[in-house]
Amino acid sequence: MSSPLIVGSVAYTPNVVTIWEGIRDYFKGTSAEMDFVLFSNYGRQVDALVDGTIDVAWNTNLAWVRTVAQTDGACRALAMRDTDTVFQTIFVGRTGSGIGGLDGLKHRRLALGSRDSAQAAILPVYFLDHAGPGADAVELVRIDSDVGKHGDTGRSELDALRTVLDGHADAAAIGINTWEAIGRDELMPGAFEAFWESPTYSHCNFTALPRVPQERTQPWLDHLLAMDWDNPDHRPILEMEGLRQWVPPQLDGYASLFEAVREQAIPPRW
Amino acid sequence: MVNHRLVLDLVERVGTAARHGTVSVSLGDGDPEQLSATVAAWCTRTGNELVAVQGNVATVRRGRSLDPLAELAPDLLPGTRLWMYTNFDCNLACDYCCARSSPQAARRALGIDRVRQLATEAVDAGVAELILTGGEPFLLPDIDELVAACTAALPTTLLTNGMLFRGRRLDALRRMDRSRLALQISLDSATPDQHDQHRGRGSWERAVAGIRIARDEGFRVRIAATLPYEKTHELGPFHDFLDSLGIATEDQVIRALAHRGAAEDGIELTLESLIPEVTITAEGVYWHPVSADHDDQLVTRDIFPLQEAITEVRRRFTEQRAHATAAAQWFPCA
Ligand code: SF4
Repeated sequence: MSSPLIVGSVAYTPNVVTIWEGIRDYFKGTSAEMDFVLFSNYGRQVDALVDGTIDVAWNTNLAWVRTVAQTDGACRALAMRDTDTVFQTIFVGRTGSGIGGLDGLKHRRLALGSRDSAQAAILPVYFLDHAGPGADAVELVRIDSDVGKHGDTGRSELDALRTVLDGHADAAAIGINTWEAIGRDELMPGAFEAFWESPTYSHCNFTALPRVPQERTQPWLDHLLAMDWDNPDHRPILEMEGLRQWVPPQLDGYASLFEAVREQAIPPRW
Repeated sequence: MVNHRLVLDLVERVGTAARHGTVSVSLGDGDPEQLSATVAAWCTRTGNELVAVQGNVATVRRGRSLDPLAELAPDLLPGTRLWMYTNFDCNLACDYCCARSSPQAARRALGIDRVRQLATEAVDAGVAELILTGGEPFLLPDIDELVAACTAALPTTLLTNGMLFRGRRLDALRRMDRSRLALQISLDSATPDQHDQHRGRGSWERAVAGIRIARDEGFRVRIAATLPYEKTHELGPFHDFLDSLGIATEDQVIRALAHRGAAEDGIELTLESLIPEVTITAEGVYWHPVSADHDDQLVTRDIFPLQEAITEVRRRFTEQRAHATAAAQWFPCA
């Protein structure tokens, strides 16, 4: 039997261990067994993918963009969560603030999450530039509470929202996942309202390099895509990882981030 | 003024917990009822579980709790077996008796009417086996009637010290349904010393005689030994002896002495450490047969309807396990 495929992931919460042990068990006894390695940040993980320590990386969108840059495009995305294909950034302010759209942010303070978070920092600046008054016309309040994890912990976004509650910012840009996690504007009437929702874009994907041939990744990928929401054995993993179905990657959903990274001259690693 | 940070704190704190782990979140300023309702609504929406709100602190579990009943092996599900204390008096006064039985103990008989109704309701409640215990059931003049009411409904086990199989009591034994009844007789050792030390001089010999009679009469006999924990390891000779009496290996049951009733020492049994076994006495429904003499383990005085009593035991077990799991999270090993 061939050796297991080694998948890397970043440990942004203790739950990551449970999730990956569940996924590993799901592959146990198949022709595509796998194991996992956890990293403390995405910079370290992409290094390990490039140097061959791991075969596949569970990458954020920024880690994907970095991998493409470091390999001159010689890498491939294998799959993503259904939720990764329709990710969005939500701009929120205090209820009744009357900001009314991105243009309403002109000369106001916008709290951003960690500078390496695509959804809460890099893309919000891009959206201000392309669909709003331009980032230069907005006072940016940066909250770098979880750099290295590309915003996965959501902590910087929660801190950005707290900054708005404290009156130190007029609005915050957060990921749709955080907006959902706080119950949108429904659980705390009078707290927040969304005034602009971005177009959808792609978030995480499984990334592999040509060094790991398709014969090795394909059986693993086939079994991954067969994970079934209606199967009670598979369901807990899917729920924990925040998806209903694994789907083929939608690469055009990364176009805005590639452009943003270029325009903002985002450095190659954090 | 509502604490708008509450949900942000919930997301952050629960996000750092492992699955099934619990965190506590301060409700902060505002109307506690409204804040608790917000936590409950957030939990419902996000698939997490509000374990408790105490004072100004909410305890939340990440993910839905495990259903402790579903985690149990099917034969451990409370209500699979129904224990009935037929009476509390006994011809012996063993020093470790968990029911504090003795010749002086009040009878507190369950009585044929209640036994019959329990046996009937047990079938509908999904009980698979009835177990009659005491005291010494053979002290009851109508023990054969009680047993008949049970065996007519379900397979039944009758616990006895096996010392009274003479005269009318032997006749009563002979009338019992061998195809539906197993006798469980207490015997603690292969030689008299250990057994007699706790149960009284001469009791070993009479128990062994009783075992032989029951076997000769064609009954399935299970032997239950109650031993101090440190003696539960060297059992070779004891098993050899039981083999020689014709006791099947699976019918040789060894259990550790419990610290309950008259026992001065033994392993500590608490509500938390016992998976419940629904137990009925004349006084009501108890958590477990080893604690049927303890008010702290009385579940309800209402024996009927039996289904409700079983449901209540299961409900308390689920609740108690949920709290125990949450409490355990507070004392992680460093
Ligand atoms: S342990 Fe059994 S035999 Fe001994 S006193 Fe208690 S009920 Fe009677």
